[in-house]
Amino acid sequence: MPDTVRKVFVSLLVAGTVLAGVPSRSKAADTPDAALIERGGYLATAADCVACHTKPGGKPFAGGLKIATPMGDIVSTNITPDPEHGIGAYTEEDFEKSVRHGIRKDGSYLYPAMPYVSYSGLTDGDVKALYAWFMHAVKPVAETPPQTSLSFPASVRTAMAGWNMLANHNQAETGDSASFDKMRRGRYLANALEHCGTCHTPRNFILSEKQDQYLGGGPLDGWYAPNITSSKTSGIGDWSEDDLVRYLQTGAVSGRSQAAGPMAEAVEHSTSHLTDADLHAIAAYILQVSPYDEDTAHKPRDSFGEATVQPDIRRGDLTRIDDVTAFKGGAVYGANCAACHGDDGAGARNKYVPSLFANSVVGASRPDNLIMTVLYGVHRTVGKTEAFMPGFDGGSDVQRLSDGEVADVVNYVMAQYGSGNPHVTADQVKTFHKK
Amino acid sequence: MSSEQTLSADVVIVGSGVAGSSIANELARAGISVIVLEAGPRVDRQHFVENFRNLENKPSYQGPFPAVPWARHPPNQMTPNEYLHTTGPDAEAYQQVYLRMMGGTTWHWAGCAWRYLPSDFELRSRYGQGRDWALKYDDLEPFYYQAEVMMGVCGPDPAKEDLGSPRKQPYPMDALPISYAAQQFRKLISEKTPLRVVHEPQARNTRPYDNRPTCEGHNNCMPICPIGAMYNGSYSVYHAEAAGAQFVPNAVVYKIERDDANKRVTAVHYFDPDKGSHRVTGKYFVIAAHCIETAKLLLVSADDKSPDGVANSSGHVGRNMMDHTGVQVTFISGDEALWPGRGPLETNVIDNFRDGDWRSERGAYLVHMVDDNQVDLATSLAISKGYVGKELEEQIRYLASHTVRLFSHNEGLADPENRLTLSKTYKDILGIPHPEVYYKLPEYTVKSCDHTRGLFKDLIGLMHGRDEQWTPGYFPQDHPAGSTIMGVDPKDSVVDGECRTHDHENLFIASSSVFSSVGTGNITLTVAALALRVADTLKKELTHA
Repeated sequence: MPDTVRKVFVSLLVAGTVLAGVPSRSKAADTPDAALIERGGYLATAADCVACHTKPGGKPFAGGLKIATPMGDIVSTNITPDPEHGIGAYTEEDFEKSVRHGIRKDGSYLYPAMPYVSYSGLTDGDVKALYAWFMHAVKPVAETPPQTSLSFPASVRTAMAGWNMLANHNQAETGDSASFDKMRRGRYLANALEHCGTCHTPRNFILSEKQDQYLGGGPLDGWYAPNITSSKTSGIGDWSEDDLVRYLQTGAVSGRSQAAGPMAEAVEHSTSHLTDADLHAIAAYILQVSPYDEDTAHKPRDSFGEATVQPDIRRGDLTRIDDVTAFKGGAVYGANCAACHGDDGAGARNKYVPSLFANSVVGASRPDNLIMTVLYGVHRTVGKTEAFMPGFDGGSDVQRLSDGEVADVVNYVMAQYGSGNPHVTADQVKTFHKK
Repeated sequence: MSSEQTLSADVVIVGSGVAGSSIANELARAGISVIVLEAGPRVDRQHFVENFRNLENKPSYQGPFPAVPWARHPPNQMTPNEYLHTTGPDAEAYQQVYLRMMGGTTWHWAGCAWRYLPSDFELRSRYGQGRDWALKYDDLEPFYYQAEVMMGVCGPDPAKEDLGSPRKQPYPMDALPISYAAQQFRKLISEKTPLRVVHEPQARNTRPYDNRPTCEGHNNCMPICPIGAMYNGSYSVYHAEAAGAQFVPNAVVYKIERDDANKRVTAVHYFDPDKGSHRVTGKYFVIAAHCIETAKLLLVSADDKSPDGVANSSGHVGRNMMDHTGVQVTFISGDEALWPGRGPLETNVIDNFRDGDWRSERGAYLVHMVDDNQVDLATSLAISKGYVGKELEEQIRYLASHTVRLFSHNEGLADPENRLTLSKTYKDILGIPHPEVYYKLPEYTVKSCDHTRGLFKDLIGLMHGRDEQWTPGYFPQDHPAGSTIMGVDPKDSVVDGECRTHDHENLFIASSSVFSSVGTGNITLTVAALALRVADTLKKELTHA
């Protein structure tokens, strides 16, 4: 389930003030041609605008998603073409300035949770197409999300001007992006639109992406967006282009990995809707990104473990119904995981339930994503396939595990099928709970 | 011993099963204060799954749930039994099991979520048998749907497969896929008989629903769904708690206190496991404690003002005990292998005998083709035939893949002589008497069972069956009903059409105990629908007060 509050990462903040009071101005008088609008819609999907600009259960692009930061909740804005509540009063120039440069119509600076640093790479033609689509195909919504109010100094928008000067920007691409060759198209999609680096590239002390570790992995609201460079030990250097295309299309590749949390949303809303040619372009580009080898990893995340053989011939004593004593590792696994993932860890035969060995989440050196998966489960809908695993946190209807039991089962699963026992403690698990 | 603190709420509910917890959820969401008193403890799934894995007798669906001493439930279906004492000519046919713990007996049901037929509510006026309810199908229809949404019920497209209970909305989820065994069985029935096999409506996820996963066909719905794909009352408990309802475990209610006029209930009293006594006051009270325990509690509460028990001016509390008596046979099909045991336990039903003019003579029934794993039966059969070594292995494989199990739900009938009373011999550790039930199968039900046997024999013949094993006599289906029967006349019934007791204006009963007839479909969905209707009544009265 999407959360009403989504933490992105420290102080990447989104424009949160209301556009009320801006003099109303009618939309561009001429309706652009249908092809341009359609292209804009595809680009908006590739840029995954909907992910942040729609709250759970809310109207598309009407904003209202809360993004928690240490300085307070910030709220995404309404970017429907409603002239009062949305961006209906924006000219194409206004739109261009906010999308590529992070400057609002009123001249104030956006907070860079709006990935304008990535979008600065968009071609003029694609900005035009996006504008056409937002103005003519998105339904106006007359709703104003709650105003963002942050504590000092983040409340001072002009402070962002300084950040803007320091942060690295993409150089705007030129020409018709549709005519780019495969590698250029892939780079364009990955950087200017999908903004992969926003999550997968670690950040420096001013929270700008560290370009020398491009796609080298970074933390993300409890989850960890892993190293997806071509490193043979730490990245996805062992994946084929087809593997990566399938992953972006469906969110799961048996024997490699499966998407949960924010990546599941990116697959649902964005990458699963891209054309095969574009996915191949992205995959080809990503797979040639310079390797970033981490000291802690010595072989690929998806190369660990094997099926276990342990025939179940238990004949133990039964416990009384009021005995709810905490279980230890193997017992937590047996009673909560084995029904779906198998006594042997191999998952379902059709791989609707993935195997735990040869699985990037279990083979990662960091237990973060396994902890998050146990706590919050998986829910990913792509086409007609709805991948679902229940969470086991304190709000679960299936089984509520204690932090100690979660730690135990994570340690057990990683020792049995993954990169080795990470010795997670109950206190560590506690830090992963959503506030 | 008495506690200092008195608990109090707008509505006090006794029992946290599907009925009690769903009422609590509805009321709490409407901002009404609720306390639910549950005799048994808080429990969790993983310990039951672990118990099931350790259990030697896998089909024993009461097995993984060893009771606590202050809230015992029947340990099994054997007669004599350590808790539920049955007597009379058909004592063994009333050896019901149920669970006393947070969430109730739906921890180990099979998820069958039938609506009753309109005719089930009008048995007396349509067929001159048994009793009419004090409500009609149409009164319950919206609440049936509400219950289906709450539990997450999957079922067939009504346009393709009309199950006889008119629907205003489709099922919340698509019907289950049909297992291989069921496909074979369906084919046979449709090709060689005038009968039909329908999709059984099931409170089981055929897609992720209510934050719970899709059914994977583990085939052990009873005793425990290992993944939470099947509804049980614990989800409603969690939802009600999230909405602000207070649940008190290990609270064994033993007394229902009334005002001087004996018109209104003022409090209920419960024992904790150490027999400390506590008093809980409220504006309204709902007894939702399972058919057996509800009647027991009303009888236990007898005092000078109500010497025969609370709500019992009619003398009908504990009478009219009904069930879906079962006929059961397993046999080895002489046709192609069926490979039963893949998918949920109960998904396919012959429903041709759920209704007909013949109900003026004999009871209705439905037939389950039970899709359970037959390796244990096949193994004992192969061993009894003297096979050893490799031949034994082959025989087990052959028999397990060719076994067919059929059982029926045969309609019981309200008969005041079939009666629950308090045991004079047995008491639990709190001093509360055990329940005792006298049971003699109504002729109406016996005739129905005879008809079923005839049908089963025909089906065995059609499938070239051998090695028939008939369960001796009649067996209980754990669908007890009738102990606080509903009716228009306070002289011969306990509750009215709203499930309000005739005797006490603020006392409701939400249980199969109010059923005036028992029909053929599993009782749980009707229990839930009645409970949601009680919640609706309470909401109206409390918000207008």
